[in-house]
Amino acid sequence: MNVLILGANGELGPHVVRALEHRHQLRLTDINDLETQHEYFRADAADLDQVVAAAEGMDVIINLSVLRKDRRLAFDVNARGCYNMMTAAVEHGIRRVVNTGPFYVVAGPTYERFDHMIGPDVPHQPGTYLYALTKSLGQEICRVFTESHDIHVMDLLFYMLLDPETHNVESGSPIANVGHDLVPYTISWRDAAEAIRCALYVEMDKLPSRSEVFFVFPDLPHQKFSSEKARRLLGWEPKDQLDQFWKKAKL
Amino acid sequence: MKVLVTLASSHLSLEIASSLSGSHEVRLTDKNEVSTDLEIVCSDLGHGAPTNELVRGMNAIVHSGEIDPAASVSDQLDYQMRCTYNLLWSAAEEGVQRFIYLSSLRLMDGYDPDLAVTERWKPLPTTDVSVLCYHLGEMICREFARENKISVVILRLGDIASEKVAKTAISTSTLYMDDAALAIEKALGADHSGWLDIYHIQSVVPNARYLTGQPWWSADDVSPSFNLGYEPRARS
Repeated sequence: MNVLILGANGELGPHVVRALEHRHQLRLTDINDLETQHEYFRADAADLDQVVAAAEGMDVIINLSVLRKDRRLAFDVNARGCYNMMTAAVEHGIRRVVNTGPFYVVAGPTYERFDHMIGPDVPHQPGTYLYALTKSLGQEICRVFTESHDIHVMDLLFYMLLDPETHNVESGSPIANVGHDLVPYTISWRDAAEAIRCALYVEMDKLPSRSEVFFVFPDLPHQKFSSEKARRLLGWEPKDQLDQFWKKAKL
Repeated sequence: MKVLVTLASSHLSLEIASSLSGSHEVRLTDKNEVSTDLEIVCSDLGHGAPTNELVRGMNAIVHSGEIDPAASVSDQLDYQMRCTYNLLWSAAEEGVQRFIYLSSLRLMDGYDPDLAVTERWKPLPTTDVSVLCYHLGEMICREFARENKISVVILRLGDIASEKVAKTAISTSTLYMDDAALAIEKALGADHSGWLDIYHIQSVVPNARYLTGQPWWSADDVSPSFNLGYEPRARS
């Protein structure tokens, strides 16, 4: 397949490239320069014309673009970037789109603070946090496009990503410490990339709708969120269970 | 009451501001200069102190979800998402009591006209930017209301029409300007549910498509029902 990756030079981008490069023709884009052996376009996800041009001849678009803090850029990239991506998909007849974001696109503090076994198909409550709300607007724009166009969007939601080989107790991270628990929505980089690879092979006509959201993380014991749907529909199986974080260290 | 009305360059906003100015202290705003006898402050509704200064001291904001048809799609989306967010954030920080978002009944046009569509029905936005923008604006308002940052009333307005329009040219969801002004006046003073209040607003026309003026109630048998008190003018 010809695969366009928007925001390929972010943190997740190199892991996704490694997961796909042996079986697919990749076209990478990013707002920053990128040294790569693959085809590369410098493109701003917020620029409609650039995104449409970058998508020509592609079979799939994977959107890894993200901006979290600057208010203008967050709306430009996280929300309008999705409008641009879907317009490009319509323009070029691309039927498969993989979008990404954090879990609080769906489950903001009004869920997370109170509930357990939160699945990805609940009504979205992102709250007013800039990153969550702008990504949620982007996801909703994608969904609206799927209502009137034959495009399937799989929205894969991640949160904390880490390398279990190098992330250890000395890191002092408030997110994940060996033997001291971790944020109950954590995944390894390679498992996240593998989930995106799986999304390229899903039989789209077997999905419940043209817009599906997935929580993507291993089988963590907290039961705060549920990633069952990702396993069932994407056929994804995580390799890193991250149990060194949520099991007490042996004395 | 001190009321800020956005998008002064639109006919609807100017008419609303003019009507409200009879009983309220009205300030208009727009990114460009607009000729008017009312107070007007130019603002791009950016992220920063000028937007806070714009809303400081206001009791209510009437924010239009209309788009500028001359603007690019990117600018239209930017205004309705980022600028609405900035305005809500500044309003919440400055303690503005009420935010009235002027949305559109076009969000409900996907339903069969024979159905009794009310505010309880799910909006059906399309990829037409003039419709999509209302939906995205409503989403942003909803999250501010959900977090109780500010009291939000959403008015989904019908197709704005002048009294001079020939009767054969009006749609079944027509809203005459005097009724629109009445609804906004009501929204400024109506009791609020404490959450997010959404009302459908249109005029009395033959085969009126949308129901208006019905009370909302909660299924918990505890919360009182609430109503905007909007009654469109009877027309012959």
